[in-house]
Amino acid sequence: MAKSFTGGIHPPYRKVATAVPIGFLSAPKILAIPLLQHIGKECHPLVAVGERVLMGQEIGGVGDSLAAPVHASVSGVVVAIEPRPHINGRLIKSIIIENDFLDEKHPSVVPRPQVDNLTREELVALIRAMGVVGMGGGGFPTYAKLQGKSAQKIDTVLLNGAECEPYLSADHRIMVEFPDEVIYGLRCLMKASGAGAGHIGVEENKPDALAAMRLAAAPYRDITVTSLAVKYPQGAELQLIHSCLGKDVPPGKLPFHVGVVVNNVHTAQAIARSMTTGMPSVERVITVGGECVTAPGNVWVRIGTTFADVLAERGLTCAPYKLISGGPLMGMTMYTPEVAVTKCTSGILALSRQESGTPVAGACVRCANCVDVCPMFLQPTTLAHYAMKGRTEEAEAIGALDCRECGPCAYVCPAGIPLVQWIRLVKSDIYARQTR
Amino acid sequence: MGSLRVFWRGLLDENPVFRLLLGMCPILAVSTAAINGLGMGLAATAVLVASNILISLLRSIIPDKIRIPCYIVIIATFVTMVDLLMEAFVPGLHGVLGIFIPLIVVNCIILQRAEAFASKNGVFLSAIDGIGMGLGFTLALIILASIREVLGAGTFFGLTLMPAAFEPMKLMVSPPGAFIGLGLIIGLINYVQNLREVRRRA
Amino acid sequence: MEIKKFAVSSSPHLHSGATVRQAMILVMLALAPAALFAVFHFGMYVVAILLTGVLSAVLAEVAILHFLKKPLATVFDGSATLTGLLLAMNVPAGAPLWMVAIGSFLALAIGKHVFGGLGYNPFNPALVGRAILVASWPAHMTAWVGSGLMTSATPLALSRAGESLPPYSDLLFGFKAGSIGEVAVLLLFVGGVFLIYKKIIDWKIPFFYIGTVALMTWALPARGQVGYFAGDPLFHVLSGGLMFGAFFMATDWVTTPVTKLGRVIMGLGAGLITAVIRLYGGLPEGVTFAILIMNALTPLIDRYTMGRRFGVR
Repeated sequence: MAKSFTGGIHPPYRKVATAVPIGFLSAPKILAIPLLQHIGKECHPLVAVGERVLMGQEIGGVGDSLAAPVHASVSGVVVAIEPRPHINGRLIKSIIIENDFLDEKHPSVVPRPQVDNLTREELVALIRAMGVVGMGGGGFPTYAKLQGKSAQKIDTVLLNGAECEPYLSADHRIMVEFPDEVIYGLRCLMKASGAGAGHIGVEENKPDALAAMRLAAAPYRDITVTSLAVKYPQGAELQLIHSCLGKDVPPGKLPFHVGVVVNNVHTAQAIARSMTTGMPSVERVITVGGECVTAPGNVWVRIGTTFADVLAERGLTCAPYKLISGGPLMGMTMYTPEVAVTKCTSGILALSRQESGTPVAGACVRCANCVDVCPMFLQPTTLAHYAMKGRTEEAEAIGALDCRECGPCAYVCPAGIPLVQWIRLVKSDIYARQTR
Repeated sequence: MGSLRVFWRGLLDENPVFRLLLGMCPILAVSTAAINGLGMGLAATAVLVASNILISLLRSIIPDKIRIPCYIVIIATFVTMVDLLMEAFVPGLHGVLGIFIPLIVVNCIILQRAEAFASKNGVFLSAIDGIGMGLGFTLALIILASIREVLGAGTFFGLTLMPAAFEPMKLMVSPPGAFIGLGLIIGLINYVQNLREVRRRA
Repeated sequence: MEIKKFAVSSSPHLHSGATVRQAMILVMLALAPAALFAVFHFGMYVVAILLTGVLSAVLAEVAILHFLKKPLATVFDGSATLTGLLLAMNVPAGAPLWMVAIGSFLALAIGKHVFGGLGYNPFNPALVGRAILVASWPAHMTAWVGSGLMTSATPLALSRAGESLPPYSDLLFGFKAGSIGEVAVLLLFVGGVFLIYKKIIDWKIPFFYIGTVALMTWALPARGQVGYFAGDPLFHVLSGGLMFGAFFMATDWVTTPVTKLGRVIMGLGAGLITAVIRLYGGLPEGVTFAILIMNALTPLIDRYTMGRRFGVR
């Protein structure tokens, strides 16, 4: 019986290449590795222009603040350290490396001890040193989630294998091709957080992934695999916890308040890979999709490859209407293809106008479709109305800050109102008032 | 303020019904026929002018703390006079207007003018203000009542205006029609005013 | 690769393709069987009434939007057409065309545009039009006719007068006197279920509306009668404008609550008021005013039925 949550939508999934093994994108000549690939403080450069760097070398360092170090994804010479366009819309300082195509490894890249031979503290420090961040798109430094704040104990690590966004299928292929690494990564996370149970949630439209995960998890009695109903946003943290564990995180609180840590399956796989090979987080799988792409599919990409390089290799049949980092429902539109793939880029979508055109907005007809689909039980139409009239306090009172900006409300609106955009506006007004 | 200015203001710019939204109750109830509107308006105007004059004359004597009861006494006196005079000379109209004649005592327009103008200005200006506001009230009554009578009964001041085939719209002579009619008139006036404001600013 | 121009906008970047016009068309489709039956039962004159209602509504919309200097986009989204059709289906089959035209115009002007246009009106526009017509020309609006435009009393009026009633089958299939839209009860029910299946309307409103009327007319005696739990709920469900109102008027998006519990309350309240008017009120039928009263309460209902937030016990 597939588990589920209240609300949500069933968009057309358009997941091509779910049966095709992950390919390899050749590393480009020039890579631009941003010093900010996570939520937190920007890293400071540890190398200088003209210096030769090796693959896996730490090139962006952290102090004690919330941050994850950045490593070189190829060996080569640093030709520049300068601001470059970033997927967050700003210009972020990046280390520009000219690839020598030797892939010479840094001496620090050595296999690490088995998880059973490491203490919890050592494991957390190792995860930090490997530069692991949330790879589902969140980009939160993973080590910080595991440290356990205050007295709240973590009892479950939940892996997100739902991948509910249309087009994206990277997590699907990772679960099919590297199930043992995913389980090993989960065990590392369990030990590092002190959790006694591990849990993996997979949507039931991925039967091969479900079977592979069940097989790989079979030897471990403390790891459960749950089949989830196919619905968006099944992979949203709060909905995932509700469906898999039956717990609800209270408004304004984080999963650790109910003793849960949520991570993406790719993050778990990356931890496993880093532990066994010693290579830090320098590459990842992304889904290249959209009608305008000649050869859509999943590929391993080196961090620092630009979207332009990726699309040049996979081919464009037409000029895209929208270039999106991530999925089509929560991803961000890019204004230039010169942004670099970071550790949290889950997909590159080159969408045509037919695929992603949004209607011209009209007046709200109070059909309540948005209210029916909201997984956070909010009233998007009322929130948008308050946003339009500048009624910030009233919007906060009815739960504007609970909004996860997941998108089903705007998806179903027959009047074409950009509900998420309005709610974002009033949320930023609320935050501005709070910090005043 | 010039007396002419005071007069026009009461009639148009600050028309007590359409702009100040005072005296709603008698307007809605009495405007079923144009002649009723005219009669009511003139009766109220008479009371308004008389009470404005007297209150203005007595304004330095009336103690501030009990001014409202004093105004009411003065207004009630004149209303009683008007009531008796109408009963004697226009009994038909008096019967139709019924309870709304004594209710002129609490007509907001009269009390508001007493409080806001007559108690602070000279006799002559207060009289002009009374005439202006009173005629403004009468004008509003006649406009609304005419519309209601023409649409709701097919007549205008009792003269049959519409052809025989016309079926009167009974809604207009009943209370909902009064509310809708008055609302639409005020809306139209506001709309025209807004257009003039925009044009003036441009 | 040269820098191309990309569209940059807020997420989400997919849309379901649903439009207001699609929904309006589906509602009109759901009304079609009942409208066609009316033509068959009452005669060809019904076609003239329906056309007049629709055309006057569209012309009124164009004229009003032009006068208010607003864009003409909403003329084509089907809302004005639907209002005109609903208004036309609310009048007796022998109604004069000028009355239907005026009713359509006023439904749009006073029922919708004075409040700000589509989405801002608190009252169902077609019902506002109907209420104005009933207050303005009561004789025409109660000149009920049956088959072939023969003057006849409606089942509810017959019940009030204590006269013999038509058989249930006639009530169900529509062989009775009444307004154009309300007679074909079975066809209206089919249309209503179709709309529920297409997720245009919420099942809660018609279910609780009809259910409450049935329960109350069964449990309570009418004025002048005695005995509890001895009523005729089937008669009441099949008579008057209940089926029409419950599926097509009380479910109007703009004027009904957006919350699930709010819709239940809407159905219960409308059912309660309808039943009370039918049993004890001065009018034989109470659907129009029951729905209008509940429309007025909708903002209040919405505010107090917001429901719990995610994660709050």
